[in-house]
Amino acid sequence: MCFAVETRDLRFSPGKGFEISDLNMHVPSGSVYGFLGPNGAGKTTTIRLLLGLLPPSAGSIAVLGEAMPSRHARVMARTGYVPERPHVYPTLTVTEALELHAAFHERWDQAWAGTLLRDFRLPGGRRVGAMSKGETGKLMMLLALAQRPDLLVLDEPTDGLDPVVRRDVLEALLGYVASCNATVLISSHLVHELERICDWIGLMDRGSLIAELPMEQFRGGIKRLAVIDAGEAKEAPFTVLARRPSAAGGEDWLVRGWSSDMRGYFGSHGATLRSVIDLDLEEGFVELLRSFREVA
Amino acid sequence: MSRWLRMWRALLKTQWTWTRGMLLGAAVLVFAMPLLSVRTAAGVDTEVAFIRMVQRWGVGYAIVAGALGLFVAIAAWSSDHRLKHIYALSLPIARWRYVLMRFLAGAVLLLLPMAALLAGAVVASHNASIPATLRAYPFALTFRFLFAALVAYAIVFAVSAGTERTARYILAMIGLFFVAQLVLISVGSHFDLSGHVADVLFARPGLLSVFSGRWSLIDV
Repeated sequence: MCFAVETRDLRFSPGKGFEISDLNMHVPSGSVYGFLGPNGAGKTTTIRLLLGLLPPSAGSIAVLGEAMPSRHARVMARTGYVPERPHVYPTLTVTEALELHAAFHERWDQAWAGTLLRDFRLPGGRRVGAMSKGETGKLMMLLALAQRPDLLVLDEPTDGLDPVVRRDVLEALLGYVASCNATVLISSHLVHELERICDWIGLMDRGSLIAELPMEQFRGGIKRLAVIDAGEAKEAPFTVLARRPSAAGGEDWLVRGWSSDMRGYFGSHGATLRSVIDLDLEEGFVELLRSFREVA
Repeated sequence: MSRWLRMWRALLKTQWTWTRGMLLGAAVLVFAMPLLSVRTAAGVDTEVAFIRMVQRWGVGYAIVAGALGLFVAIAAWSSDHRLKHIYALSLPIARWRYVLMRFLAGAVLLLLPMAALLAGAVVASHNASIPATLRAYPFALTFRFLFAALVAYAIVFAVSAGTERTARYILAMIGLFFVAQLVLISVGSHFDLSGHVADVLFARPGLLSVFSGRWSLIDV
């Protein structure tokens, strides 16, 4: 598999009790990779490390096949970035912001920028600092898309936007991805939103990547099992992520890699499987996080 | 148009947007200063009195040049500082090139008040009735003004381009200087620390020596 973003044993220690530790991240080329994690997990810091905005303490980063941060300029010429907070100069008008951005990006598509400007209903003469949050969010997405990037790195791009604006932004994003097979790394804590658009998921907590897997596997493979008379989970054909007593008696097991033909395992070990509960992405995310923290 | 020139022009435009009010105000001011200086000197009896009247405006040129350099340098970085440099760092360009382009853009903008001063100085020199033994130096005054503005601009630009830690070190050094001065005074020492520092900075070939000495449109 070819990766648009790959890190090996990446470390970053800014102090203040927080660090990114031994991060091994793999974003497959052409995928929409959802980067999930609670506030303060280190998602924004990781993104800044990937884009060469922060220098790593140790480890290596490759983005679009180039080493970062040493090849920063080459990588950023092919990467569209929407940061967590607006980064466009607030004193410029929308038109001036577009002109500035266009001057730095050789692949800038002026015609498409004009189309997006109309579609997003952005007023060209208005100062960026005087725009609403939704308008600023759309402008940042416009800037990232119209430079025709091979990789889009979006840090909470729809955070705080109303549903209509969010839909506009995501439609433009998905349209672009569909048309030119770009890779998207999108960080968010709006789990349901990611569930709809992502085909890979990376979960981060406390500076560590705790899971990285295809969305299909995540959706289908993570279950909550209600088990009675459970002994030790020896030689289980699935991975037990967590076990905790159930309010209804017995235990709840959080497992990964489950399939229905594994039911026989419980009978052969003197236990009873009472029910299998499908978890959606949000529940799976919460359960994974909880089990990671229990182990930690 | 080359790629680098296109980028530089885009940055120049942003800096013009941020500083045009200040630059136009300074241009009007420095255009008027030579005209006012010769006007206030008109009608005096002797050459010495004429020179003295014109030279009274000298410190004004130095102050305006220093302030102009200071504010243009601060304006070059203030928006990037406010945005924590995220936009600048996400551009596909090496950091040193970005800094160089910003520096050159600010330096070019200083040419506008310089041109206004030159125009004012030339007009004042031609229209004033200067005593026969005296001469006007509009070009020398203008280039000195530009040089002083560039020195102030370069120093403040370099400090502003640094990290917060650098700024803290500089502030700590200034604080240390005042503490040392107070200690010397409190122990009754006659060593004039501030005088020595002023000499090092403002006497030739000190870093800020361009600001001291005679700034005069009309001289012997």
